[in-house]
This record gives sequence, structure tokens and C-alpha cells, in this order.
Amino acid sequence: MSLAARHLEANGIATVVLGCALDIVEYVGVPRYLFSDFPLGNAAGRPHDPASQGLTLEYALRLLAAARQARTTWHSPLRWADDSAWKLDYSNAARLSEAEIARRKAEFDAQKNIARQQRDLPAQ
Amino acid sequence: MNPEKPSAAGAASAPDAPDAPVAYLERIRAYYARLGYGAPYAWAHFEEVPFQPLRRRLEESTVALITTAAPYQPDKGDQGPGAPYNASAKFFSVYSGDSTHDPDLRISHIGYDRDHTSAEDPNTWFPLRALREAATQGRVGSVAPRFHGAPTNRSHRVTQEVDCPELLARCRADGVDVALLIAN
Repeated sequence: MSLAARHLEANGIATVVLGCALDIVEYVGVPRYLFSDFPLGNAAGRPHDPASQGLTLEYALRLLAAARQARTTWHSPLRWADDSAWKLDYSNAARLSEAEIARRKAEFDAQKNIARQQRDLPAQ
Repeated sequence: MNPEKPSAAGAASAPDAPDAPVAYLERIRAYYARLGYGAPYAWAHFEEVPFQPLRRRLEESTVALITTAAPYQPDKGDQGPGAPYNASAKFFSVYSGDSTHDPDLRISHIGYDRDHTSAEDPNTWFPLRALREAATQGRVGSVAPRFHGAPTNRSHRVTQEVDCPELLARCRADGVDVALLIAN
């Protein structure tokens, strides 16, 4: 997604990336980035919360107009929850048992094979 | 309420402070290392970043959405809210949809946070409804006639040489001034 933003921007279309992973998008490097400190999958606002979704879009639009240079990141002031405990769970190796690690490795290998087969199918 | 805050403010907290943004680069590296995989995924990284100022006021601009979400495919297994990661639901070329309809898009092929969000509400990753409202209120000129899907699971080369030019061509064909790209 960051690569697409860069390409559009280099060819005359102004962009803003909405995302929930601050370090990854900034590492790649994009023109404008609205960062929501939410679990991955919620870059456009909190679920079942139209006000949050409307505000998130509004911040992205303000950022589009206000940015004067590349790599402009704004942090959405919206919070996911009062408690930040959710941040400890995603792909946190330190929190997983050996059995869970083994299960996830098997699942990952299986999904990887599926993706490879899908990718290699002739175009339909 | 002004959301502007330089990135450095986020880094002012200690990396392990409870409220600091998740350090995903390190989290994901450690995760796959523990699963037994070798070299970590190499994210693209650029020193130079292009910048295009708005060509016209937002109130006069045509705005497109670009998403990594996939159209629902009934023959590709569970893609519903809370579905386990489903690689078979991936797509491998740019697609477009009619912005005047509500598409059935899913993110089961994406590594989103399944512990803390169920993907029940598509408006959390695809803000078409909010964008339509912004257009109705005159906040933006118009919603582009099509939205576009950008494949994941591609090499940097294919993304840059195939998918990005295709997205650009489709945006140009629709007279797009501004694109919102929603990452998952």
C-alpha cells in the first residue's frame, strides 16, 4: 500500500495512507500518513462507531490539505480503549507456549502453500 | 481537536511503555524467528519520498479509495468476521468496484489483529460510507466512480512494475485528484 501511495504521488495524485502500524509505514516512507493507534484492521476507525469512522476520515482529509512536505505523519487522537493491554497480544512470541508456536507454524506453512498455489494458477 | 503531532512524539515514550505504539517491525521479526523461519521479511525502504501538493481544493477534488480488502469469493472458504487467516481468499491482480454500490469486501486474507477485532464492520477498513457522507456534505468534491483493490503477497518488483502502474492508470481514467489508501 505504501508503494502504491508513492507511485501515485510521483505521478501527480496526492495521497494519504491510513494505517495502524506506525513503524512499518514510516520505515517504507510515504508522503502523508494518518496513524491510528488501533489493532491492525481498523485503519478507518473503530467498529460500529460511525463517529470514530467519520473523524478518522476527517483527519485524513485535513492532513491531505495541511501537509507541506513528504513523510508527514499525524497521530489520530482517538483511542481504542482506556486500557492499552491489547498492544501486547499481536504476534507476541513471548506470550505463546511451545505447543501454540508449533500449531501456528503448521498453520502458517499450510497457508503459505495455499497462497503459492493460488498465485501460480493461470489468470481467469 | 487537532490531531497533528509529529512522529517523534510517539517515540518519546520508552519503546516498552504500555501506551507506546506497537513496534511491529521487531514484533513480527521475533515472531517468525520463534516459529523457526530464517531471514525476516524485508520491507521496502526509501530515502526519497515523493510529494504532490493538492492540485485543487478538497471541495473540488475527486477522491478514490484504494484497499487491500478482497471481494467475497463464495468458493474460497471462511472469509467471514472472525475467520482464521485464509490465504485462498487472496487476489493477485488489481481489481476495481463501483463506488455507488456497497461492495462485499473481506479481509480474511490479511494478518489483522484477530484477538482484538472481528472484522464485523467493513467501515473500519473501507471508509466508503464516510467518504460518501463527506461528498454529500461538500467536504470533498466527489467520490471517484470506482474504488480499487491492491494485491498483497507480491514481490516489491511486481508491486512496483505491474500493480502500481495499473492503479495509476485506473485513477487517471477516472479523473482522480486524491487517493486514500487504507492499509490493513
